[in-house]
Amino acid sequence: MKGEAFVRLARVTKRYGARTVVDAVSLDIAEGEIVALLGASGCGKTTLLRLIAGLETPDAGEIWIAGERVAADGRNISPPRARGIGFVFQDLALWSHLTVAGNLDFVLSSIGIPKRARKMRIEEALQMGRIEKFADTYPHRMSGGEQQRAAIARALVSHPRLLLLDEPLSSLDADLKANLLAELATMQKALNGTTVHVTHDREEAAAFADRVVMMREGKIERVETVDRTRFANT
Amino acid sequence: MLRLPSALPSARAITLGVAVALFLLLCVLPIIYMLGVSFVGGDGSFSVGNYRQLLIDARQRELLLTSTLLGAGTALLATSVGAPLGLLLARTRLPLKRMLRIAFIIPLVVPPYVSALAWILMTGSTGFVASWLGCDLLSAWTYSLTGAIIVLGTSFFPLSMLATEAAAWRVNGRLEEAGLLVASPGRVLWRITLPLIAPTVAAAALIIFVLALAEFGVPGLLRVRVFTTEVFTAFSALYDFGAATALAVPLLAVALIVGILAKLITGERLLATRRNLYPGLVLRLGRWRAVVLCFFTIILAASVILPLSALAIEAGQLERIIFALGTSGDAIFNGLYLSTIGATLTCALAVLLGYGRARSGARLRGLVDLLLIVIFAVPSTVVGVGLIGLWNRPGLLGAIYTSQTIIVVAYLARFVPVAALMLAASVRQIPVSVEEAAEVGGANWWRTFTRIVLPQMRTGLAAVWVVSFIFCFGELGATLLVAPPGESTLPVRVYTIIANTPPSEVAALALLQVGIILIPLALLGFFTGGERGVR
Repeated sequence: MKGEAFVRLARVTKRYGARTVVDAVSLDIAEGEIVALLGASGCGKTTLLRLIAGLETPDAGEIWIAGERVAADGRNISPPRARGIGFVFQDLALWSHLTVAGNLDFVLSSIGIPKRARKMRIEEALQMGRIEKFADTYPHRMSGGEQQRAAIARALVSHPRLLLLDEPLSSLDADLKANLLAELATMQKALNGTTVHVTHDREEAAAFADRVVMMREGKIERVETVDRTRFANT
Repeated sequence: MLRLPSALPSARAITLGVAVALFLLLCVLPIIYMLGVSFVGGDGSFSVGNYRQLLIDARQRELLLTSTLLGAGTALLATSVGAPLGLLLARTRLPLKRMLRIAFIIPLVVPPYVSALAWILMTGSTGFVASWLGCDLLSAWTYSLTGAIIVLGTSFFPLSMLATEAAAWRVNGRLEEAGLLVASPGRVLWRITLPLIAPTVAAAALIIFVLALAEFGVPGLLRVRVFTTEVFTAFSALYDFGAATALAVPLLAVALIVGILAKLITGERLLATRRNLYPGLVLRLGRWRAVVLCFFTIILAASVILPLSALAIEAGQLERIIFALGTSGDAIFNGLYLSTIGATLTCALAVLLGYGRARSGARLRGLVDLLLIVIFAVPSTVVGVGLIGLWNRPGLLGAIYTSQTIIVVAYLARFVPVAALMLAASVRQIPVSVEEAAEVGGANWWRTFTRIVLPQMRTGLAAVWVVSFIFCFGELGATLLVAPPGESTLPVRVYTIIANTPPSEVAALALLQVGIILIPLALLGFFTGGERGVR
């Protein structure tokens, strides 16, 4: 693990009624690190991601991001918008009434970026996602792959300190998925962004992440550091 | 094109074909007949004389203006009240939300003419307000276009509320969450949620516009001259069939235009019933909580508590209600059993039409939706005149026309379209694969329909039956025209005795009307109105 913990989860627990979906999970993630949460459906990995984002409230435990305690004592201290997060949802959640540029602009104007700077940032993000020509296109007029790129661009346009990916590539074919993942990894490394990536695909996890956290029934089963040399050779 | 499964397609085609034929006969033909007759002159030849008369008569232009203002004013008022209510129910944590929702639906199921009666009792020249103040300040306002807009606005706002709440529930929670990662809840509401639900709110406003335009009882009682009251007068007082049909045409045209607009705006959302498990945005009211509760109280008071209290106070004692039961027992009994038959037959026909609509191709679906919306928007008095023209003939038709059956026919003509739309939404929730599995398993279509499809629709069917019963039991405009001599239902009875009967008896009957309607509504709420919204 590189450097100090950028994200720290300390005995984070989430229950729905009598069912404990995240059970006293503790994990440190270093700045710039890419961590994959791997596990079968219902193992609690998406809930853990939503807890980090502040979209769910933990019942117990603490969550720290960049040295700031954002959740503790069964409540969220910082709302999602104050956590400096980019999130790519499984169903992408592109705002259908706004163009791609409109989607990005909403994010930037919400965090108070002046209009002139917004234009530049939007162009930069569109270029990074290689979707410049779709700036004025509505999401439903784009292909699945193009929509994925738009969702990633929207998540990155605010230069988030932490990028959370909730199986955003699950609907893509293997080739497209591999390409997008490689691009995403490059982008994140360039921005020195920390990333948590939820997936149920072991290959995808190993190809993208520095560490793979295996979850089962709400708990961390084990953590593996990816052997890049071995992976590169295969 | 209907996608017919390979097993026994004829059974399905025949069943749906019969349903479509009945629909055309009962619901479409009276309207086509009205259109046709409006082009027939006094000598029986083709003529545009009725329309010429309509265009040159300054009174008709005034009618058009008043009718349009009534529709637009009602839509504006109902949306201003209903849309915020719907949003609050969908996106806030409020105590007793289930009770509140049912309470706010009451004005919609109380026939508008009953609300008008209650307002007359409160603010008319001899009403409670005039008695308390010792002078008549409000009757000029009550018997005016403004009065009619307020009565209809307080009757129809639940439609806007329900549409807004449903639309808010259809918004994918992830879209709001994606906004919440960077923006405040208020900004997400303004920039993400509201634009996404706006088309549905607008479509609901259009439908309210048409319903207000089609309303007969309220303008009739409040002496506001609009097209529907003129159609009634032209036919029942002057026996001028040509004038009545020509007067109906502007209403039909408006119904068509608004139907097309509503369909264009909403598309498939009109029937979309998919809702998300949880909303992405929850509004925390904080210090606004008191303001919201105050808003709820005012709306509830104006639309439910005050009108019903006025009726109860005027009716006075239980003996008076029992007396009214005795004098109008036949009308109540007629209304009950005819509405029961009407609601049952409406559901039987509508379930087949709704099934056909839900399982048809996209283009046909669009056309069917449009046809159903437009027919539902046709005013009751227009339907009534159309039915008379069509069924008042010698032979079998005449036998039906001179019996109570014509009242049931009127119910079917008015309410099958809206019931079919509601049931189509119910069918759409059942995956086609469910039917295909039965087909693969060897069941024929009829068996699949009755044993697989219908049981899965039972909640929707029960709800539509109750709604149809409520609609039938409160139907006034068409029944008033087609009811055979000596036969009447409760609304017809109230409307015809109002001028020469003590207000207390009228109030007692109106109260009975409300009481009978509230029983099935309460049962429906109890069995199917599970807690929705943010907990």
